[in-house]
Amino acid sequence: MTTGEFSAQSIKGAGLGLRSSHYQEIFETKPDVPWFELLSDNYMADGGLPIQRAELIRQDYPITLHGVGMSLGSADPLNTDYLQRLKKLADRLQPTYVSDHIAWVSIDGQYTHDLLPLPYTQQIQQHLIERINQVQEFLGRKILIENPSSYLTFHSTDMNEDEFIKGISQATDCELLLDINNIYVSAQNHGFDPYAYLDNIPVDKVKEIHLAGYEEMPGYLFDTHGYQVKPPVWDLYCAALKRFGAVPTLIEWDTDVPNFSTLRAEALKAEDKMRALAAGSLGS
Amino acid sequence: MKEKVNLDNLKAWQQDFYQGIFNPKVENIERACIDVAGTDSLSPEARLDIYRGSILGGITTALMGIYPVCEKLVGELYFTQMVAGYLRKYPSSSPDIGGYGEFLGDYLADFIVNNSSAQALIYLPDTARLEWLWHKAFNAVEAELTPGTCQRITELGLVEVERQGAIQFILEPSVGMMKSAYPVDKIWQVNHASHAAEELQAISLDDGAVNLLIRRGIDYEMSIESISDDLYLFLYALLNNKSFAQIAQLEFDTSIADLLGYCLQNSLIMGFRLLDE
Repeated sequence: MTTGEFSAQSIKGAGLGLRSSHYQEIFETKPDVPWFELLSDNYMADGGLPIQRAELIRQDYPITLHGVGMSLGSADPLNTDYLQRLKKLADRLQPTYVSDHIAWVSIDGQYTHDLLPLPYTQQIQQHLIERINQVQEFLGRKILIENPSSYLTFHSTDMNEDEFIKGISQATDCELLLDINNIYVSAQNHGFDPYAYLDNIPVDKVKEIHLAGYEEMPGYLFDTHGYQVKPPVWDLYCAALKRFGAVPTLIEWDTDVPNFSTLRAEALKAEDKMRALAAGSLGS
Repeated sequence: MKEKVNLDNLKAWQQDFYQGIFNPKVENIERACIDVAGTDSLSPEARLDIYRGSILGGITTALMGIYPVCEKLVGELYFTQMVAGYLRKYPSSSPDIGGYGEFLGDYLADFIVNNSSAQALIYLPDTARLEWLWHKAFNAVEAELTPGTCQRITELGLVEVERQGAIQFILEPSVGMMKSAYPVDKIWQVNHASHAAEELQAISLDDGAVNLLIRRGIDYEMSIESISDDLYLFLYALLNNKSFAQIAQLEFDTSIADLLGYCLQNSLIMGFRLLDE
């Protein structure tokens, strides 16, 4: 065990979501990946091989922790048992960031294990602000919150998602994980301008970006994390880099996970665009 | 709920939405969709259905990871339908998805009792229970003794004879056990990916009942071992925190010294504590 030997490190460049099918190659070849993101919910067990592997990865790479279990938008009280375990995991692995989503996952203590949508109103916004403050106090650290992809909107909604997120980030000291694929998917599903969305997000709050592939379904786009990043998302990513700078970027791929080299190739595309930004040659 | 969503009715709205997802009766779907905006291309119900599919797909995939043998035995389609029924009867109370699925064996047992067409799968509930124990052992906490209250096995010889009845042995934390009327260990072995290359052997459900010990070794290798009735009874007593004096009251065909010796030699016991008089 290497508990307590790590210290949080800053991250830059394009990292990869750590998936179990790639463990062996990573351990054997120590690839030149700037950082890995671990799905915190996969490492919540008390012991065993997953957390042991996570510590081995952590010996060689900075990491971030990304989860879906906070249920920040739920009417339930925060699950302090979950937060306690997350805190223990973060203390053990010393991630650069801990993140979760603007969504609800549970009600009456029953978990859906998926990110469910919220009406964007001032009252709901205030609800999230209070809970994010509680989570940050509990964990003793800032968290990053991520915009979800969504497939429906509510009559109750009276503000745009970007306005909703901007208000939360300004009322708390949490920071933002901007998922460019999610913005594009939701923009297509609900008919808003994704570039105007980016323009309304506070520049200094964005600490991480996610990229992934969506699937075209009849009548909507579906955020499957099962494909290469699509061209319009790359275009939006370029606009994001121009606005926010070379923010650390993660390639997410969760279904039909490809071999490691394919995943790494996606990250290298993102790094190419970061280099183009630095060189002043980044197109759309 | 007829008014728009606000903080006062957030809980009721989320409860309705949850029911619309997991119990998709017409009236539940209507309530879940009351505040949902539809479009020409997709109705509110169709939009809710996207979430239903996403949730079921995600949970099914996770349970396939925990129950690969059950999934192989019944096929992906049947397994997916099974998960939908399981979710309705046993909602997840675990924020992390790896903690969900404990009662699939119980659900399957009820399902088979109530569905005569499923009788051929009579061994499936115990196969599921075995897979859950495998999952729990794989993710069990590391073997560490609590300082101050627990002692190492090497200190066993220091316990005075008159205090030996107060010894409470502490099992290695990954140890799990189960009984089955069917040879589910063999069923597991010939269907699990880690044993795919082994020669398939004919399995008869009449091969007899088994007592199984499931555990994780020091190098994270997993094992499923068929054990005797006596060893099962001995380990079961340890698992239920019985003192050595209480265990001595149980009836064994094997000597307790031999059973204890086996457990020590195989690192099934990691330490002990002395109970108060």
